[in-house]
Amino acid sequence: MKLKSIRPAFVSFVLRYRVPFAILLGVLLVAYPWIVRNPYLLRVATNVGIAIILASSLNIIIGFSGLFSLGHAAFYGIGAYTSALLATRLGVPFWLGFPAAGIVAGLFGTFIGFATLRLRAVFLAFTTLGFGEITRIVILNWRDFTRGPLGIAGIPVPRLFGWSFTREANYYLILLLCAAVILFVYRIYHSRLGRALIAIREDETAARSMGINVFGYKILAFTIACTIAGLAGSFFAHFQRYVSADSFVADESFRIITMVALGGTGSITGPIVGAMILELFPEVFGFLAGYRQVIYGAVLITVIVLKPGGIVGVKGVFEKPRATRRSWIAQALLPRFNGGTR
Amino acid sequence: MLFVQQLINGIAQGSLFALLAISFAIVYGVMRLVNFATGSLYMIGAFSGFFIVRYVVRDVFVAIFAGAVAGYIVAFVLEKLAFKALRGVARIASLICTIGFSVFLNELAAVLFGSEVKSMPAFYGQTAFRITGVAVSWLQVVMVATAATVLIILQLFIYKTKMGLAIRTVSLDYRTAALMGINVDRTISIAFSIAGAMAGIAGVLAAVYYNAVAFNMGNLPGLKSFSAAVFGGLTSIPGAIVGGYLLGIIENFGVQIISTGYRDIIGFIVLVAFLLFRPRGILGRKTSM
Repeated sequence: MKLKSIRPAFVSFVLRYRVPFAILLGVLLVAYPWIVRNPYLLRVATNVGIAIILASSLNIIIGFSGLFSLGHAAFYGIGAYTSALLATRLGVPFWLGFPAAGIVAGLFGTFIGFATLRLRAVFLAFTTLGFGEITRIVILNWRDFTRGPLGIAGIPVPRLFGWSFTREANYYLILLLCAAVILFVYRIYHSRLGRALIAIREDETAARSMGINVFGYKILAFTIACTIAGLAGSFFAHFQRYVSADSFVADESFRIITMVALGGTGSITGPIVGAMILELFPEVFGFLAGYRQVIYGAVLITVIVLKPGGIVGVKGVFEKPRATRRSWIAQALLPRFNGGTR
Repeated sequence: MLFVQQLINGIAQGSLFALLAISFAIVYGVMRLVNFATGSLYMIGAFSGFFIVRYVVRDVFVAIFAGAVAGYIVAFVLEKLAFKALRGVARIASLICTIGFSVFLNELAAVLFGSEVKSMPAFYGQTAFRITGVAVSWLQVVMVATAATVLIILQLFIYKTKMGLAIRTVSLDYRTAALMGINVDRTISIAFSIAGAMAGIAGVLAAVYYNAVAFNMGNLPGLKSFSAAVFGGLTSIPGAIVGGYLLGIIENFGVQIISTGYRDIIGFIVLVAFLLFRPRGILGRKTSM
């Protein structure tokens, strides 16, 4: 697709020296705890890491496969509660609870996928939205099991050979997880699976006629994304040491979608940028107090209207068709393979 | 006795859900977009009704009219500001925009009017008549009658006027509609605004029914009536009406049978289970979209 793309000078400068830049970025990230020496900033960085994992995993669903999931926070929450309950009730260490959380969240994802992915796209949106509410309300009402609105407190921090993780260790753990997830998503994008998903996103009928198992690939993508969200939930539970249903409401799902869409749907860097913006926005604009959310809404709308594909959007279905002087309806009326980019 | 009581409550609440579900169905019909700002338009309708009753005249019908006008105007502005620019782009952009508007409008209302719950004056508290000993208040009668009137006017508009014909055509196939000389932009804009008016009316009715107005009052009814709209097939207005009333009734019976803690998801569970067996809803079109 990139036959002749015009990039801003800054971007092409970064791209030309990408290896030194990557090394510099890596060194900065590793040295971060020693640079800031501030527990609060370390905590913010860890939260950004969790957000990056969530947004990158949701990007597999929304960006690569073109499906709408409005309940990503539910899978995150299921992961967090699985890990928290295993640790507090059965004394299972983090290193076992962590994969268990991923598996449980992934199983729920497979189940939802099986029920809805054969139907029209909007049903997945509806069912995941409903599933999110159901998860939240079951957590609140099933007091014997989840302690209801009280939440679960006193979740142990991860331990390794008898040594409890400090804040710095948690930061390095999330840094490692982030790097692994980003690499994994990158590898998916350039794999057979990624190509199949993108083919499905661009034109499902054409993909099917090429022999792609549309339903199977959709379920696979959905399950992978839900598993990663569950893993992020497990880390969150052991890092925060307290979980309650309030962290996994529909607003949180919308926040994760916003990260993906604001940053750039379907690109690898987009969700990372979006997650950083959304996590850091309240920190930077804390002085606005009550007006913060209003401004956040206004900024979101402005960015999407001006740049529908997101800040670092990729070309394809998420961008406007080539800018011409024709109106949108004239564009839509153009024959499919004759002029329009879609 | 209890059965009749729950049925009456269910029908009264169902009127609210039906109006909101229609709002979803109209927008989805013409734009293939789930409008998550519907709950905010409902809240705006409720606030405008509240201010009319509080400072201008103490009359429910004026308040309902004001709610409809406010919903129409705000929806019109939203459409012009954002969704018009996003036509022909992937739908996720518009979807994110509706989420953005929902946050923006709710928080703006919280900043302007305060985040506490305000109490709406009560109307028509007296008993209208009794069915097997169960009192039905005038308010419940007014609600159902208002909803019915609005629905009839809307049906007449959609099926008897030229604009209604245009809306139906655009919702079937906007490309063909454009080739037939219909101004698609204008049709979508009007349909979106009418959907806003529906949400506004529902908001005023809800404010009167629950005696409360708050900045976040639209969130939960918005999500729930979306499920009612899906249940009705998502593009069908009669389907949305049936879905809305059924959701109201199922919810009230469910609370009676199961527990109040699960109130907000009973409808969801029933509707999801139903959709697994009949994915196109009760009155949905056969073609897949």
